[in-house]
Amino acid sequence: MLGQQLISGLATGSLYALTAIAVVVVFRNTRTINVAQGDFSMIAAFVAVLFLKSGLNYYATIAATVAFTVLLGIVVERLVMRPIADSDWLTLFTATLGVYYIMHGVAGWIWGRDTKAFPVTFNPTPVEIFGVIISEGHLINMGWAGAIGVVLFIFFRYTKQGIAMRAVTDDPETAKLMGIPVRFIVMLTWGMAGFLGAFAGILIAPILYVSPQMMDEVLIKGYVAAVFGGLYSIPGAVVGALMIGVAENLAGGYLGSHYKTATAFVMIVALLALRPQGLFGIQKRREI
Amino acid sequence: MVAKNSAGKRSAAILDPKAVARLKERFQKQNVALVVAFFAILLVAPLLPGFKGWMAGQAALVIVYIIAAQGVSILCGYTGLVSVGHGGFLAIGAYTAALLTKHLALDLILSVIAGAITAGFVGMLMGLIFLRLAGPFMAIGTLGFAFFVGAVVNNVKVFEGREGISLPPNRIFGQVIGDTEFYYVAVAFLAGVTIFIFSLVRSSLGRALKSLRDAEKAAQSCGVNRLQYRTLAFTVSATITGAAGALNGLITHYVSAEVYSDIWYSVDILVAAVVGGSAMLMGPIVGGTFVAMLPFVLETLADFSFILKGAVLIAVLMFAPAGVCEVVARPFRAWRRRRLEVAGHGTTPPAPELRVVASKGEP
Repeated sequence: MLGQQLISGLATGSLYALTAIAVVVVFRNTRTINVAQGDFSMIAAFVAVLFLKSGLNYYATIAATVAFTVLLGIVVERLVMRPIADSDWLTLFTATLGVYYIMHGVAGWIWGRDTKAFPVTFNPTPVEIFGVIISEGHLINMGWAGAIGVVLFIFFRYTKQGIAMRAVTDDPETAKLMGIPVRFIVMLTWGMAGFLGAFAGILIAPILYVSPQMMDEVLIKGYVAAVFGGLYSIPGAVVGALMIGVAENLAGGYLGSHYKTATAFVMIVALLALRPQGLFGIQKRREI
Repeated sequence: MVAKNSAGKRSAAILDPKAVARLKERFQKQNVALVVAFFAILLVAPLLPGFKGWMAGQAALVIVYIIAAQGVSILCGYTGLVSVGHGGFLAIGAYTAALLTKHLALDLILSVIAGAITAGFVGMLMGLIFLRLAGPFMAIGTLGFAFFVGAVVNNVKVFEGREGISLPPNRIFGQVIGDTEFYYVAVAFLAGVTIFIFSLVRSSLGRALKSLRDAEKAAQSCGVNRLQYRTLAFTVSATITGAAGALNGLITHYVSAEVYSDIWYSVDILVAAVVGGSAMLMGPIVGGTFVAMLPFVLETLADFSFILKGAVLIAVLMFAPAGVCEVVARPFRAWRRRRLEVAGHGTTPPAPELRVVASKGEP
């Protein structure tokens, strides 16, 4: 029972992690708390439904959807975020709220407000690994999340763009002086938000089904997870997301499903009260 | 956004300080007259021939939105803090008032005040946690709070979840009142809150809050206790929003988790404050009216109203970051400044070059 709860918690948590990573990456490069992150996923899920219905297979659908959502992220950056890039964080945050409203409205307009099933469902017969019974869906989700984690690791560690992105995170001014195209990197950041959003959307869709508000809760949990990493550290955000997934599942399993949704808030209050800089955050000295 | 004249030359010598003081007093009177006129219109509106019964209820709902936005504006306009969780306080106010009305048959005014106080108390507790955090963290923390309140009202038995609590007709001093009377109650609360904010901003407390907003370290070094003042501001803000929530619940005679667990309620209130201009008295009034009327005007096109709201929000942020009201007020302010110069120096000074200094937020 406990092993089961842990595993399914980790599986859910790994999906929260995708959102959390995107929140962290966008925040640390652009000071923007991206409210529209959930909507990248939501739009991706709808678009994936469209592709699947038109007869594309699962993997081609993923590729096409990811391409579409990356483009969407870039469009949002160019049209909305770039003109106000120098504003304070509140303006940037509120602007993404505007994007949230627009995407929500567009999705509701085109596809309607009702919850729809996702055409791909996982085999409900569970598999047994090391004595723990896991459903196929959980296994697949964890696999994808792990693969994306590896891709991100390689990107940030070994590619020129990834290293440039880290440089922009650390010090945009210096990075600019060193000849790093900061604007391009910011665009890439939003592209990455779209990329992660697409996977989060496609992987969550079979569980939460597809509707304009499908990602609202997940987004909040992604935020909380991101705060675990001090809105700065990706590993911190991933650990936070997994913890939320597990804690939520345990609370749901042992205390009753009522307590499931409140878990994330209790965790964030405890965290913020005890370690405001995040679990792995570094205490930054505040400037005058 | 601060519009500044080339200050150096001007401040040197005011020839006639009395005239300047007189003029300032006159401008102040004009401001007050504008606000009074606004409320006079609100009071007379139900007596006009074209006014129908349902309009009173609708207008009261708009006013509720405005009061809620005023609560938020105390935080994000005058204190420089952001809460994305004020829907939580709205819900607390609404449920407190609803439970008191249902189980104790409490008077309308008393239950609104009780709702406001409860929300204020919770706000104080939340403030103690959240105010130690830097802005973005506070935004996320407060959003989490709204989410938590939503989870509580959905799942705890007393609040009757999505079934909701249906309320009996409202009573004042034992008299059952209708929508039009309720409208007057709402206007009275709006007037109270507006006067409160008007005097708050001009009090030493308001100055302390604004100094914390504009130069935190400098203010602290002058002896302004940051945590104490901000907790006070957070409490006041939560109280006002709680009152709005209580009014909201009572006018619809129905309180349910369906409505109040929607965390985007919180966001709507924030948007209302931002669009109108949160650092101005008229800001929440304009913004609140916009946000509250939008779904009403576009009733059959709910999705389109979402799109419009988003587009307006982004446009405001791009072209009028201090809110719509600030843009409207800008020429008047410039004109008044010129008048003051003339009064102070006896002659028209050379046209001051208007320089716009964009605020970059916290360093």
